[in-house]
Amino acid sequence: MATDPPDEAPDPADALAIIAAQRALAEDTRPSSTWIFALWGTAWLLGYGAMWLTASDDRRPSLLAVVVAIGLGLVAVVLTIVHVLRRTHGIAGAGARQGALYGWAWPIGFVAQSLIVGGLGRAGASDEVTGLAANAIAALVVGLLYIAGGLLWDDTGMYVVGGWMALVGAAAALTGLPASYLVMALAGGGGMLALGLVTRIRSRA
Amino acid sequence: MPDEQLDPVIHAQARLRVVATLASLGTHDRISFPRLQKLLDMTAGNLSTHLRRLEEADYVTITKTHEGRTPATYVELTLAGRLAFERYTQTLRSLLGGTS
Repeated sequence: MATDPPDEAPDPADALAIIAAQRALAEDTRPSSTWIFALWGTAWLLGYGAMWLTASDDRRPSLLAVVVAIGLGLVAVVLTIVHVLRRTHGIAGAGARQGALYGWAWPIGFVAQSLIVGGLGRAGASDEVTGLAANAIAALVVGLLYIAGGLLWDDTGMYVVGGWMALVGAAAALTGLPASYLVMALAGGGGMLALGLVTRIRSRA
Repeated sequence: MPDEQLDPVIHAQARLRVVATLASLGTHDRISFPRLQKLLDMTAGNLSTHLRRLEEADYVTITKTHEGRTPATYVELTLAGRLAFERYTQTLRSLLGGTS
């Protein structure tokens, strides 16, 4: 207390600048949607892109492409969790709890998706049926969670992208393999990257 | 115009930064003392002094809890604090807009 700097009153213009600067700093306590969209967009574009590129002859992606796609998905899950935990560290209360519950809905959705896909495989579904279902259900999980996020944070853009992802996944199931992978890579991954760019531009404006 | 008073509790460099940061959090959200300190880049002693002043004005609530065995202090802007900050920014804007 003895060495506290003198606390002078700022003039009005400086005061507004201080407020703006602190608001920008406090953005650090919220997950960055730009960052998350960029991460998932890249993972889908590369993962589904690799599967499409190697699946053109016999409709089955190469083992390497499948491993790369699953690896990218796992990396994206881990990076998302680390990002959210780091950003929201030290924040508690109603909004923070809501955000945490929303965050946990993602792994819940993807565990359910992999159980369903595994179940279809065990029940004798062909590789094509399993592949189509895995894509469409993943897109549905992502789409509905974006829609929920849009409702939660009153973000129409997020809601619209959620609807887009869900419908793209469903439409991809109609195109059959391997075209389904291309639709997921370009419309799904590309769509998320485009949205990341839009949120970035909007937050700077 | 000249009789528009800027709230003296908020109108000081350090406390303005504290209040502006707390106001950027969601309503009913609390922030831990160390995280707030890091966001503001203030010394713990300095921050405590200003928080005490804000608490006396009923602008912030300070909650002391335990996370496991370690004590944790959380800071939250009260409704009165949020309203005072709103009023403060409005006054700033009208002061700037109304300069002649």
